[in-house]
Amino acid sequence: VKTVELLHSIASGERSAREVCDAAIVRIEESERRINAFTQRTFDRARGEADAVDRRRMRSKPLPALAGLPYAVKNLFDVAGVTTLAGSTINRELPAAATDAVLVQRLHAAGAVLLGSLNMDEYAYGFSTENTHYGPTHNPHGLSRMAGGSSGGSGAAVAAGQVPLTLGSDTNGSIRVPASLCGVWGLKPTFGRLSRRGTYPFVHSLDHLGPLADSVEVLALAYDAMQGPDALDPGCHALRVQPVMQKLAKGIEGLRIGVLGGYFHELATPAALRVAQMAARILDAADIVEWPDASVGRCAAFIITASEGGSLHLDDLRKRPQDFEPLSVDRFIAGALQPADWYLKAQRFRRVYRDKVNALFEHWDVLLAPATPLSAPAIGEDWIDINGTRHPSRPALGLLTQPISFAGCPVAVAPMWPEGTGGMPIGVQLIAGPWKEDMCLRAARVLQESGVAHP
Amino acid sequence: MTEDEVLDYVKTAARMMALPLDQARARAVAQQLTRTMAMARVVETAPLAPEDELAEIYRPAPFPANGESA
Repeated sequence: VKTVELLHSIASGERSAREVCDAAIVRIEESERRINAFTQRTFDRARGEADAVDRRRMRSKPLPALAGLPYAVKNLFDVAGVTTLAGSTINRELPAAATDAVLVQRLHAAGAVLLGSLNMDEYAYGFSTENTHYGPTHNPHGLSRMAGGSSGGSGAAVAAGQVPLTLGSDTNGSIRVPASLCGVWGLKPTFGRLSRRGTYPFVHSLDHLGPLADSVEVLALAYDAMQGPDALDPGCHALRVQPVMQKLAKGIEGLRIGVLGGYFHELATPAALRVAQMAARILDAADIVEWPDASVGRCAAFIITASEGGSLHLDDLRKRPQDFEPLSVDRFIAGALQPADWYLKAQRFRRVYRDKVNALFEHWDVLLAPATPLSAPAIGEDWIDINGTRHPSRPALGLLTQPISFAGCPVAVAPMWPEGTGGMPIGVQLIAGPWKEDMCLRAARVLQESGVAHP
Repeated sequence: MTEDEVLDYVKTAARMMALPLDQARARAVAQQLTRTMAMARVVETAPLAPEDELAEIYRPAPFPANGESA
């Protein structure tokens, strides 16, 4: 049953929210030993939330948009009564969160049912979710493969059919990389669109939050439910809700759609290029477009990430480096030691970069590029080959996402299935100008309806 | 810069930041920093005018709305 139909059946009383919740619990329990997506299960809470939905329906009260929808969140979101791990063991010493993160509160208000917290790279510094403390999350389409990261549990939980909706965070690609490698839909909204209050930060200048889902409709419904200003989050710039759900049916009429070349062509394997071509064919996008200063943007994002991340954890890096994730602790320390000039130049460049990117979107509405240079590497793989050049696998998975999030543009990822990957997916990024999430999602819906993009 | 020069920088900067590093860790950090140094060189190729300010982070208070006194 499609998830949107499932929501209709709960609203009509054909199915109870409790029945849907219990079915999700069974799916999680059956698959979790293979996938390792969950670090905390909140099944009692889920049953309580599901029962509340059913009581409301029995009283003939109108149900909110996501009533009865099972979901789970990356474990950097505060969940009342649960310690926010952010993928670390150090955070186990923190008290349990007193309240839910703002986005969890909003999904609760929309009737969604929270089943637990999900695995991630420690402190979100990674693209693979090979978490040494909690074990790697396995890609449901090939269990020896990486799920991507840092929101790997969020990608894998949807791909494995455990839940139809998850939340993740994206600093440099951490929603888009797992969406690509796990073959699910993802949305990284405009920087500053959704409140980050109640989540454990990584890089204040770059952190975004957003949904991953099994269909464009669920992505849009969840995104609409989570929108809203938040005066208490200094990074939330949205002043009002701009719903997208009703706009999906407009299709791509009137949209100017191009394909990114240059940097995005050179750093993509033939299979990744094929997904952009497949999407371009459906979306009638013929023109090749140059993204300004993509390589510089990627480098500047890398420097800002290392510097802010290293500074955030400096105290623990001094006192207990042995307790950090071995795969990222050296990067954190190196970031803490970077010269100030590198960071300041990167931040000054960001303003110039923004102007150039915004100028590009005066001529285009949606731009296409692969989300990852290749399909999921094997867990433990240190090096990958991209068109004859050897790259360190973990940072290289974000080569094609980093320049886009550095500009703060919204991006939807569509799950595609090219030939030449042994049946593994690669996502395509549908990129729009700031605050134009509706355009990304309209194009995504067209890809979904064509059948070329699907989980 | 040579590998040894980067390693020297790492050891000195770590002492300044009160970050204890053993030799193996210092070498691993130096390797990371060498990668980042190459990226900093790329960022330096982007021309910046003196008036190109930082991307904004701080504002003392929201700007007064119309009709609201400062």
